[in-house]
Amino acid sequence: MSAELWTEAELRRICDRALRECDGDQAEALVLASTNELTRFANNVIHQNVASREAALQIRVVVGKRVGMVTTNDLGEDGIARAAKGASEVARAVPENPVFGGLGGAQPIPPSPSAFVDATASATPMDRATRVERLLRAARERKLTAAGYLSTGANEVAVANTGGVWGYSPSTLAAIEAVVTGDAGSAWAERSATDVRAIDIDAVTREAVEKCAAAQGPRDLAPGTYEVVLEPYAVADIAQFLGSVLTGQAVEEGRSFVGGKLGQKVTGEITFVDDPFDPASVPMPFDFEGQPSRTVELIAGGVAKAVVYDRQTALRTGGANTGHGLPPNPFASSQPFHLRIEPGTKTRDELIRDVDRGVLVTRFHYTRWVHQLRTIVTGMTRDGTFLIERGEVAHPVKNFRFTQSYHDALAGTLGIGKDLHLFAGGTFSFGARRVPAVRLAQFAFTGATQY
Amino acid sequence: MVERDLARRGVDTARTRGASYADVRFVRRAVEDAFVKNGHLDTIDRTDTFGFGVRVVADGAWGFAASQLVTPAEVDRVAALAVEIAKASATCKQRDAVLAPVQAQTGTYRTTIGIDPFAVPFEDRVGLLLAAEGAMRTVKGLRTTRANYEIWREDKLFISSEGADLEQTLYECGCGISAEAVGDGELQVRSYPAAGGRTQNQAGWEFVTKWDLVAHAPRVAEEAVALLTAKPCPQDVRTTVVIGDAQLMLQVHESCGHPIELDRALGTEAAFAGTSFLTTDRLGTFRYGSDKVNMRIDSTSPGGLGTFGWDDEGVPASEGWAVKDGIFVGYLMSRETAAALGKPSNGTMRADGWARLPLIRMTNVSLMPGDAGTLDDLIADTDDGIYMETNRSWSIDDKRLNFQFGTQIGWEITGGKLGAMLRNPTYTGITPEFWGSCDAVCSPSEWKMWGTPNCGKGQPGQVGHTGHGAAPARFRNVRVGVVR
Repeated sequence: MSAELWTEAELRRICDRALRECDGDQAEALVLASTNELTRFANNVIHQNVASREAALQIRVVVGKRVGMVTTNDLGEDGIARAAKGASEVARAVPENPVFGGLGGAQPIPPSPSAFVDATASATPMDRATRVERLLRAARERKLTAAGYLSTGANEVAVANTGGVWGYSPSTLAAIEAVVTGDAGSAWAERSATDVRAIDIDAVTREAVEKCAAAQGPRDLAPGTYEVVLEPYAVADIAQFLGSVLTGQAVEEGRSFVGGKLGQKVTGEITFVDDPFDPASVPMPFDFEGQPSRTVELIAGGVAKAVVYDRQTALRTGGANTGHGLPPNPFASSQPFHLRIEPGTKTRDELIRDVDRGVLVTRFHYTRWVHQLRTIVTGMTRDGTFLIERGEVAHPVKNFRFTQSYHDALAGTLGIGKDLHLFAGGTFSFGARRVPAVRLAQFAFTGATQY
Repeated sequence: MVERDLARRGVDTARTRGASYADVRFVRRAVEDAFVKNGHLDTIDRTDTFGFGVRVVADGAWGFAASQLVTPAEVDRVAALAVEIAKASATCKQRDAVLAPVQAQTGTYRTTIGIDPFAVPFEDRVGLLLAAEGAMRTVKGLRTTRANYEIWREDKLFISSEGADLEQTLYECGCGISAEAVGDGELQVRSYPAAGGRTQNQAGWEFVTKWDLVAHAPRVAEEAVALLTAKPCPQDVRTTVVIGDAQLMLQVHESCGHPIELDRALGTEAAFAGTSFLTTDRLGTFRYGSDKVNMRIDSTSPGGLGTFGWDDEGVPASEGWAVKDGIFVGYLMSRETAAALGKPSNGTMRADGWARLPLIRMTNVSLMPGDAGTLDDLIADTDDGIYMETNRSWSIDDKRLNFQFGTQIGWEITGGKLGAMLRNPTYTGITPEFWGSCDAVCSPSEWKMWGTPNCGKGQPGQVGHTGHGAAPARFRNVRVGVVR
C-alpha cells in the first residue's frame, strides 16, 4: 500500500474550520497526522505486522488569560465544531493563568530541505517483508536469532492560529532495529533515514551478525570506572538526556546542569547544536506553535552557550523564543528536535586503537534519571559489551550497570568519531539526533548482571 | 449499534479476503487531564478518540490495520489491508500461528464506580487541585509545585470470527501532588500518594477525594525542603531495607510483572523490552523468592487498572498465582503463547486504544500480604537498616535480573525506630536474590492496590495501565547507595 497522506489542503481545511468555530480572543489548531506501517520480527519470523492511519486535532482557545484545550480525532465537520465549542467552553470556565502570554503571531518561516521521500511513503508490506527476510535468512544461516522491526511511514504536522500562523510540514521516516542473538551473547544494529532506499539492509545484517559472533561467551569483568568507547547507539542516549534539560524550562525549574552556567565550561571539547535545517536529519523549519525554528549552538567546545525556548517560557523568563515549542503539554514545553553532536576526526576503529585498557559499549538499555540536576543516569549496557586491551577488542564481557553523570562523563572527552549516525523515531522517543562514537576517559560501571 | 454492524462487516471482509481468523475492536476513549503548577492551572486537555482495529490470521500469519475513519468503505479497506499485511508476514513464517481455544463469549462489563468523574462539576475538580497545590506553597523554599488529576473512560466493542461479541466500559481516576526544592547543587522531590505524577485506579471520583491531597500537602512540601540538607544515604553498603508499598509495587511491576510475560520468555519482545530470566523450563520449579513471597495475577481485583470482563482477545478475566510460597508457577499469557505451552490463555492481551495490536500486558500483578503486622510493627521489629519510600528512579536489565531503584526519601532505622532522614537513597540487586532475602511482608491492613498508568511496551510503542497491590516488606543484606 502507499501511505495515503492527509495532505496540506485537507489539514488546512480542518484547521480553518476549527478556528472559525472557536469562540475566544485567540485560537490555535494543531494537527498531528501519520500513516505508519511497521513490520516486527522475532525468532526469525515476522510475528507482528501493523498499519495505522491516524490524525488528531488539538484546539487551544484563549479568553483573556484563560486557556482551554480539547483534542479530538473526529475530523468531520461536526466533530471539529464540537471540539472547538468544547475548547471555548473550557476556556471560559477555567481560572486565569496569570503567566500565559498569548499565542504568537505569524512570522516568516524560512525554507528548509524536504524531509519527504515518496519511496518511503509508498513502501508496501511486501517491500518490508522482502527486506526483512534477507536479514532473517542471514541469521538462520548462522544459527542465530534475529528480532527487531522495519518501519516506513509519513508524518504530517499542520498548525494555524487566529494571528495568521500557518505551517505545514510533511516528512517520511524509515527505520530498522535488529538484535541478533546467539547461544551466549547478542548484538545490535539500527538505522533511520527519510529515504527507505538509504537503509542498507545488508550493512545492518552484516553489522549485527558479525558483532553477534564476536559477542559470544562474555567473561566477567569487575565493575569499576573504565575508559570507554561508546558506539553512536549509546551516545544517542546521552544526547537525548542532556538535550532534554538544555531548555529554558529546565533552567527555570532548576533542573538543568547549564543553569547559571552559560559561558562556562560544562563538558570537555564537544559541541551540541540543534539544527532544524540539517538535511541529513528530519528537517522541519517551525515548531508546534508555528513559530520559526532557529539553529541554536547549545554547547560549543564544552562551553554552555544557550538553551532552546518555546514562546511561553521565553516570555516568562525573558529569553528569546528559538522556535522549539512542543505541542502543549504539562511535562515539557520545549525540546531540541534536531540535536547534533558535531563530528570529530577519527573513525570508530581509531577511537578503539587509542585505548590501552577500556570498555567498548554498543548501546544502553533502560536508562533513567537518578539525579536530573547532576545529570546522573543509571542503565545497563546491552547487545555487545567488550574489553579493549592495547587498542584491540579483546573479548566480550558481561553487561554492566552504570550510574554516571552524563555531562561529567563528557568532561573526559578524549576523542570523537567522524561519522554521524541518525536516530529518529524510536519506540518512545521524539525528535531526531545525529551523533558520533565517542571515547571518554572515565565511565562508572556500578554493577554487573549475569550475562 | 452502527459499530457492531461495521465490526461484523470487517470480520466478514477479512474472511472473504482469506483470513482464517479475524477480530475487530472499536474503541472510544475520553480522557481529561488537568495540571496545576506554581499557583495556576497550567494545562487542561480533554481528549476524545475513536476508531477501530482489525486483526487477522491469513496464510497462517498475523496482520493488523487500524483507522479512525468509521465508514463501511474504510472498514473494507482496513480489513483488506490487514489480510494483505498478514500474507506478507506469511512469506517469512516457519509455522502457522496457533491459538489456544476459547469458548466464544458474549456479554457486557462495566467498572463499578461511586461517583462518575465526568459528572463532577468542573470547578470542583480543578478546585481540589488548586487547593492542594496551594497548601504546598505555604511552605517556603520550594521551586516547583504541581497537582494533577486524570479521569478516563473507555468503551470497547470486540467482535471475532469465532462468535465473540463483547462490550465493556472502563473508568479510571488518578491524582497526585509533588513539590520540588532546589539548592546548593541539589534537586529534591516529594510526591503523594505515589511517584510519577499520580496513582490511578479503576474507580470513580471517590478515588481522588479519598487521598485527601490537601491534608498531605504541607508534609510533602516540608519533606522536599528538608531533603536538601538531609544526611546522604550511606554509600555502597549492605544493610536491611524496609520498602514502603508505593515503591514496592513498582519493584513488583519491574521484577515480577514483566518477567512473567510469556511473550518475553518466548523471545518475541527481545529487540525492545527484552526477554526474561523466567524461562519456560523454570515454570513450577524455580525459586523466585523466599517462602514469604506470594505474587498473584488477578484481572478481577476491584480497583486494579488491569481489571476487566474480557481481555482484547475475548478471554475472560481470571485469577491465579505467579509466585506461590516463593516458587515461580505462572505466566501472563495470550492465546498464541499459551498454545505454545499447551495451556489455555489466562486472558492478559490488551491494546492501547484502537490503533494498536493487543499485547501481553500485566493485568493486576500483586505481592500478597503477609503477617508482619503494620508498617510500624515491621520497623519496630528491625534493629538496624533503612526505610525507603516513593520511587524516584527505576531501571532493570533486559532479562529482568539486575535492577536499581532510587526513592525520594529514606530514614535510618535504629533499634526499631525511624531516625535521621536520608537523601538520594538507592538500592540495587539481582531479582531472585533480592526476593529471596525477603523475610517479612506486612499484613492485609497495610495492603493497597496501586496503579501504574504509564507502562511502555511494544513497537510501535504502547502505554499500558497495570495494577499492583503491595504491602511494605523487609529485605536483608541489600546493597544500598550509589549516588555520591
